[in-house]
Amino acid sequence: MQTLENVAAVEEEDVSPAELRKRKRQDKHKKWVKDMKKDYPIYLLFIPILVFFVIFNYVPMFGIIIAFEDYKPGRGVFGSEWAGMHGFENFYDLFSNESFPLVFRNTCVMAAMNLTIGFLAPVILGLILSQVRFRPFKRVAQTVSYMPYFVATVVVCSLIKDFLSDSGVITDLFVALGAPKEDMLTNPKYFWWINTFAGIWQGAGYGSIVYVAAISNINPDLYEAAALDGAGRWRRLVNITLPSILPTIIMMFTMSVGTVFMTGFDKVLLLYNESIYDTADCLSTFTYRWGVEQNNYGLSSAAGLFQSVISTALLLLSNKLTKVAAKTSLF
Amino acid sequence: MNKVKTKYANGGMVEKNGVGGWIADILIYAFLVLMMFICIIPLWYSLVASFSDGFTLYNTDGMIWLPVGKWNLKGYAHVFATDQVFLGYGNTLLYVVSATLLGFVLNVLAGYVLSRDTRYRGIMIMIVMFTMMFGGGLIPTYIVMKALGFVNNPLAIIIPTCTNAYFMILMMNAYLSVPQSTVEAAQLDGAGHFRLMFQICLPQCMSIATVVLLYSVVFQWNSWFQAYVYLSSAKEWWPLQLVVNNMIAENTNFMQSGNIDYSRYLIQYGLVVVATIPILCAFPFFQKYIEKGAVLGGVKE
Repeated sequence: MQTLENVAAVEEEDVSPAELRKRKRQDKHKKWVKDMKKDYPIYLLFIPILVFFVIFNYVPMFGIIIAFEDYKPGRGVFGSEWAGMHGFENFYDLFSNESFPLVFRNTCVMAAMNLTIGFLAPVILGLILSQVRFRPFKRVAQTVSYMPYFVATVVVCSLIKDFLSDSGVITDLFVALGAPKEDMLTNPKYFWWINTFAGIWQGAGYGSIVYVAAISNINPDLYEAAALDGAGRWRRLVNITLPSILPTIIMMFTMSVGTVFMTGFDKVLLLYNESIYDTADCLSTFTYRWGVEQNNYGLSSAAGLFQSVISTALLLLSNKLTKVAAKTSLF
Repeated sequence: MNKVKTKYANGGMVEKNGVGGWIADILIYAFLVLMMFICIIPLWYSLVASFSDGFTLYNTDGMIWLPVGKWNLKGYAHVFATDQVFLGYGNTLLYVVSATLLGFVLNVLAGYVLSRDTRYRGIMIMIVMFTMMFGGGLIPTYIVMKALGFVNNPLAIIIPTCTNAYFMILMMNAYLSVPQSTVEAAQLDGAGHFRLMFQICLPQCMSIATVVLLYSVVFQWNSWFQAYVYLSSAKEWWPLQLVVNNMIAENTNFMQSGNIDYSRYLIQYGLVVVATIPILCAFPFFQKYIEKGAVLGGVKE
């Protein structure tokens, strides 16, 4: 023991701590140079990708400052004055805009409906598909179910407009059930449901693919054992199938929490009209109208930033949730 | 063993079936038939309506299963009366091909670069991934595009939407799955980075690369918003979907103005058919990859 310590002490005495740090730095530098020599072609190859993201993603992120400016197109981002109220005038205008409470409510309601009904639809469809014993039928049903995912949003919305017009096919169906004969897209009462079901028609089949795949990966021995224990079909569904795909369900849910505030609103832009702004107008359409149609860039950017911040917060929250869920779903 | 597997593999189905089982089966099949019906019928309606007689169709309440009145192509005659639709097809084709190819090159590049074990790999991945988390929003992006001269310029469609962080991360994972020994063997043989990227690794990542390629094609085919914002006054560059949207809106206004030409009533159905048939014809060919892609979406992160 004694001798070993002595040796170490002698070695340390040879070089001062400063000298040691210097050597360490040199070593580090040498390694850096060596790494760079090896890697620089890779970094060069990264340049086009960097340029792509800088131009189309990072510069616009920087451009968010116009939300705090009294932006004048002629003067540009750097020439424009800061907005009043220490730069927060656009936000004041946004929050005090007479339609803002409704816009915010509509965005939240439609997001919530997409997260609940819109989220459950593919889970249920996946479970039902997995119950089909006759394989060719299952294949056909599944294929047909996700075909609408590839029909363009423009086409889907023009069909909805036609079918829900005062002489449309779906309106006729509702009239037969006792509803008044009217253009359903001009009645604010219906819009949230129309939007949600349009989303389900387009996306439920596609969304169910991942659940069908997860179910087909369940170990058949589990079912066999349960069947031998006398578990019926319903019990097997509840006690084996559901718990087995729960991790997938949780993961898909947290992923949709992260994107729900941003996606799916292009349908609203195609479907809505002035008579249903009260229930249809949402942050995306508000941003579009004030920015592109009214050229009020400051207000529009403020609305866009508000939406981005909430969306990012939701995304971070959902990532946290995924981590917690990943832990709990182990048990 | 194999027999048992097929017996139980399908979500816990057993051969035996009691009365309850039969009822459950009937309900399940009935539900799925209804579901398929709902998926297909809007498109079927458009198809048969587009061949119907305008006046009869206008006066028919409720569902039609086959063309009503005298079969005719008047709707299509209206649709193709101007060259707008052809122009839309041409532009969409241009956007699909050019954006997909450009995106493919960038994706391959990103997949290779981000999968190499370099000192700053983490930072590069962060740079790419951060764009999935936060965006500048519509107006700041618009100002940048304007500064680049992309407004009313087809490049606004081709370049910014050709790829995204998600595609690149998928490709990175694909490249990571190529065995290190393959790469090292090729390096010993003197393969450079481009050879490694395209000739050695890419063939082994082809299934994910195809998925990404197909998503890009479908996205471009169905895309309208980008053109709606950036090409609003460059009609000659409009993609098919925007042409369709615009023609339907114009026609609706025209009919509301009191013009009684019932065959114009068929235009919207004709346009729906014209805009949907190509992608549905291609559907059986890319179906396999779509299922793969949907599952990939579920296992990302």
